[in-house]
Amino acid sequence: MSDAHQDSRWSIDEAELARLTKEARQFKGESLWSDAWRRLRRNRAAFLALLFLAAFGGVSLLAPFLPIPSPKAISLRDEPGTPEWLWSVPAAPTKAPDRGAATTRSTRNLWNDGWRHRSTVILAADDEGAAEKARARVEETSGRGAILETYPADEGDGLEVYASVPMLEGDAPEVDYRATDFGGTATCWDVSTAGADEPVGAVHSLRLQSADGTDFDAAQVSGWSVEARGRSVRLFLGRAEARPGLGDWVVAYRLAAELGSLPTAVLLDGTLLPGSAEVAWEGTPRGAQTVDAELLEGVEAMDLGRQVAASLAASPIEGVTYLETRHEDGYWEFKGLVGAMDRALRRARIATFGLWQTGNWMGTDGQGRDLLARIVWGSRTSIIVGIIASLCSLLIGVLYGAFSGYMGGRIDNLMMRIVDVLYSIPFIFVVIFLITVVNEYRTELEDQFGIDREKIFFLVIGAIYWLTMARVVRGQVLSLKNTEFIEAARVIGASTTRILLSHVVPNVLSIVIVYLTLTIPAVMLFEAFLSFLGLGIEPPKVSWGLLAVDGTQAINPIKIYWWLVVFPAGAMGSTLLALNILGDGLRDALDPKLRGKN
Amino acid sequence: MPILDVQNLRVRFETHHGVVRAVDGVSFSLEEGETLGLVGESGSGKSVTNLALMGLIPSPPGVVEADALRFEDRDLLALSDEELRGVRGNEISMIFQDPMTSLNPLLTVGRQLTEVLEVHERLSRREARKRAAAGLADVGIPEPERRLDQYPHELSGGMRQRVMIAMGLLCRPKILLADEPTTALDVTIQAQILELMQKLQREYGTAIILVTHDLGVVAGMSDRVNVMYAGRLAETAGAVELFDDPRHPYTRGLLGSVPRLSGDTDADLDSIKGSPPDLADLPAGCAFRPRCSFETERCAAEPPPLFDLGGGRSSACLERDALGQPEGGAR
Amino acid sequence: MLRFLARRFLWFVITVSTVMTVSFFLMHSVKGGPFDGERKLDPVIEANIKARYHLDWPLWRQYLQYVGPFNLDDQRALAAFDEEGGFALWRSEGADGEPTRAFGGVLTGDFGPSFRYKDFTVNDILEESLPISALLGVLSMMFAIALGVSAGIASALRPGSGIDLTLRIAATGGIALPNFVIASFLVILLVFLIPLLPVAGWGTIQHMLLPGLCLGLVFAAYIARLTRTGMLETLSADYIRTAHAKGLAPRTVVMRHALKGGLLPVVSYLGPATAGILTGSLVIEKIFFIPGTGSHFINAATNRDYTLAMGVTILFTVLVYTLNTVVDMAYTLLDPRITLEDE
Ligand SMILES: Nc1ncnc2c1ncn2[C@@H]1O[C@H](COP(=O)(O)OP(=O)(O)O)[C@@H](O)[C@H]1O
Ligand code: SF4
Ligand SMILES: [Mg+2]
Repeated sequence: MSDAHQDSRWSIDEAELARLTKEARQFKGESLWSDAWRRLRRNRAAFLALLFLAAFGGVSLLAPFLPIPSPKAISLRDEPGTPEWLWSVPAAPTKAPDRGAATTRSTRNLWNDGWRHRSTVILAADDEGAAEKARARVEETSGRGAILETYPADEGDGLEVYASVPMLEGDAPEVDYRATDFGGTATCWDVSTAGADEPVGAVHSLRLQSADGTDFDAAQVSGWSVEARGRSVRLFLGRAEARPGLGDWVVAYRLAAELGSLPTAVLLDGTLLPGSAEVAWEGTPRGAQTVDAELLEGVEAMDLGRQVAASLAASPIEGVTYLETRHEDGYWEFKGLVGAMDRALRRARIATFGLWQTGNWMGTDGQGRDLLARIVWGSRTSIIVGIIASLCSLLIGVLYGAFSGYMGGRIDNLMMRIVDVLYSIPFIFVVIFLITVVNEYRTELEDQFGIDREKIFFLVIGAIYWLTMARVVRGQVLSLKNTEFIEAARVIGASTTRILLSHVVPNVLSIVIVYLTLTIPAVMLFEAFLSFLGLGIEPPKVSWGLLAVDGTQAINPIKIYWWLVVFPAGAMGSTLLALNILGDGLRDALDPKLRGKN
Repeated sequence: MPILDVQNLRVRFETHHGVVRAVDGVSFSLEEGETLGLVGESGSGKSVTNLALMGLIPSPPGVVEADALRFEDRDLLALSDEELRGVRGNEISMIFQDPMTSLNPLLTVGRQLTEVLEVHERLSRREARKRAAAGLADVGIPEPERRLDQYPHELSGGMRQRVMIAMGLLCRPKILLADEPTTALDVTIQAQILELMQKLQREYGTAIILVTHDLGVVAGMSDRVNVMYAGRLAETAGAVELFDDPRHPYTRGLLGSVPRLSGDTDADLDSIKGSPPDLADLPAGCAFRPRCSFETERCAAEPPPLFDLGGGRSSACLERDALGQPEGGAR
Repeated sequence: MLRFLARRFLWFVITVSTVMTVSFFLMHSVKGGPFDGERKLDPVIEANIKARYHLDWPLWRQYLQYVGPFNLDDQRALAAFDEEGGFALWRSEGADGEPTRAFGGVLTGDFGPSFRYKDFTVNDILEESLPISALLGVLSMMFAIALGVSAGIASALRPGSGIDLTLRIAATGGIALPNFVIASFLVILLVFLIPLLPVAGWGTIQHMLLPGLCLGLVFAAYIARLTRTGMLETLSADYIRTAHAKGLAPRTVVMRHALKGGLLPVVSYLGPATAGILTGSLVIEKIFFIPGTGSHFINAATNRDYTLAMGVTILFTVLVYTLNTVVDMAYTLLDPRITLEDE
């Protein structure tokens, strides 16, 4: 270098240059973020918005912990319930139209506004005293406080006792399917009447043998039912003789090709099982397929009902008999990490608040669901959608924009032209089209790739919101590419990755954060929009769009259920407003032109 | 009787950072046909003085006060908004510093010229157009008819400034306030424009207040010169006297900082050290004190008033006599 | 100018054919086709239906037929004299013996038969619903511009005043809230609490006012913001001071000198606003039960009426693209500094 340039300005030695670049970077890096934070804090509106969002997001994420009613359980009502400032709702039903003869055991809980995520042990008792003892036994067995409701028995003159405890996992009967040493084959074919193309049914013929060669005895089976998803089939074989702790058998196999019809007849070792249609199946069927099958045995866990029954069997209470146990599910079960977190939060709720829960502070909707709970859970959905979909768009946009900007020249030109073309398409229409088409493949996607509708939704939204991000990132990368400190880094021989990681990324990051905060509200609006049109989140799940549908449907000339409009709109509006304000504030805070000023 | 008489003009801006006294007690008068130079560093209140005369100080934050602001026999401060509009652009007009931004980029040159005539002389569009073309020809623009239909961005910088001047002179104003009319132009065009202004002044007998920080321009153009510093007059004198015998340290500094073409470039320019003061936070006493090499204890007491030195000149320096003529007009 | 239009047209062709091709193949890649999933049809009837919609053709041929401009169906009918042709002639009749209508392809402006409304073509449906949607759209655009521009100017003329603050808060709310929420509030307010307007329904212009307002408000909010910043910027420009120095009345200064520059950002927003209004109309038409194109589109999408859905998508793409071009041209008329050649 110094050979080429005799000029004294160029004769900095390389160590010195490295030191300078490092210093410059540190100075830049530190001051950028601390400066931005300082300026954000001075912007009172943006700071308040940040606090609000933190609080609101926290509340939504902690939804299962909050002592609010179930967002999901419906109860039969004539109309939406008005907001009431009841500090707490008695956990027992309060609003049954007639607690007496008008309800029977099968309809009673439909008017229930109490705790809805609960297991109810129903027992017959001779009198009030026996009922109390029964409650004590349920509490003792479950280890949880129980509420007691008593009704006159449907028949006779005893009492029917409902002892309810907050439901925990393990309460509901769960069946574990365990491998047996029976296995074999399933031969399946469609059956059609002469002349018609379409099959009128299908025959599944099973041959099951144990490892030592004994045939599976068809007499043990009382009937069958089937569950088929795409090509995987699970045939449930009922037991002829009930045995405690043991449930159905399952024969599981995967077809080589999909059949035109679900099975209408099942054969076990050539015997038609009860419940099968009469079909002529003799002879070698045309187009039959034979696949391997395995037999699983269902083992039932000791659920709450069984435990109470067993306890009563071991030490009976005078005048009390066990009838049945019901489970009312008040939440949505999520899979994976979220599910685990939710269960932990729910246990924490029961430990902290017991059976206490708030009244319908924001009223209920037409189906008796608590509006506050629906808003909290709906926000949870919308916030999760907003964040994940924005991250999708971020990923696509940043990769696309950075690549385009980095390559420059013709490639850049072409890639940006593509963005232009996409910009000029009215996207909603294409997206709606896309969503409906993708919907046709729901089961396949779910079976083969584990992609459910929500994930598709995230991807589709992410796939259309990346355009602006790509443009912005590309612009930034393009302008950075030629700046002096990148030149300097290149001169001292830093690798491309290093340059990218230590110079480009931090500089692009600030603008990415700004656009992310502005994309999230846009995406949330879009989710609400699609859900409103019935193309997004589906009931019984809840999101802002679905709440808004409820709201618009509640508007009618006879009575204005204002709470169904005002509260969801308030939650939605304030969150989106806060996000917008925060986004603007961040943009100002991170704007390099304003850096260092107040 | 002077055509314009300004007594104790004060303009302050009440901003978030404090009160800025942009003009603080300026008095001067202007005779018919006279050219008054107004010089000073940028930020010394030259433009604000002119805008105050036009009644164009934005309010809020600006507040304009004066003991007298007399134009012919009218008190400018007492005029109603409407009467003031009748004066603006008609009897007193103003040319702004930057011809690039001072013309509306979205309207044709013609439209911007004719609207002046339509407002003040109630001419029809066609007559106004004729007059506008004549006005353009007056300032030496070729093919004026064609120019009328062009947009400012289609003209060169010098052309645009000519348009501005034509616009200022369309109604034959009695006073033309020229706020740095040549600063944005290159030197040859500068000379043309100045020559043009002098020619038109001779023809129409217009009085000009010429704002500039280019002392060379002032020397060539003006009859008298006001030197402003930090919103106050530092010195006022006939152009010749001022250059020969400056009686204020600031004026001396200004004269010293004029780069001379002849002479040794490496010699230290006798420029003014330090930077212009913050108008919101002026030092006590003479505002020039921190930069003054003649400063004494007295200077800190209070801002010096304008002392009459006789012969139509005055200076706001306590040590004005010490300045004398040490180098005997070595220039 | 011509070069600009030519280039625009080239990109227009690329855009529209992308949309058309992608949606066509998406639609035809769906397993089972549009007539599956309901009760089983008689195979003969099904074959007839498929023939009617050309679903029995190979995909490339269906695509050519869809794009046009040659009617492959007619060609087959013309060839009726050879052996295969006789078969084709039978096929070009519907199940009920009525001859199917000729279908010339998108290039001739024919979007083909609707898959759901058996006796209608997509064009029939569009002809019926488009005027309604257009009226709604124009009305809401008028609301958006009128409200937005006047609010923006009112704000900009007195920045920091109470009016400015109120209008800015309202605008931020308008941007943050979805239009169906705004619609709910307005219905409660204007229909039930202060009964000024009729309940949802269809027919008179009064029935249109509320939907138009609801649809326009969001864009009014954006326009108010743009106008405010644009006006503030121009009002602080040097040439405004020049205008004042000429002795023009404040009104004249604002109207003649500031407004044009201040509204330039609004003009360039009109393109995106149009697209936004089309989008918003989907929701508004649903809320107010308006039988416009948007309602039909949603129905079509959820009912697998793919020709109708595609027709609407293509039509709206063309519409938005054309309007964007018009807006760009209008922009150059307003701002002489910009020339179309620059692009
Ligand atoms: N609208 C305004 N608000 C606040 N301060 C202003 C305003 N206009 C001018 N000033 C202040 O008045 C002072 C004088 O400005 P000006 O007259 O433009 O100086 P110059 O002598 O360079 O023309 C400057 O310091 C400027 O900060
Ligand atoms: S009054 Fe004092 S400080 Fe001010 S200019 Fe004169 S000598 Fe300098
Ligand atoms: Mg100035």
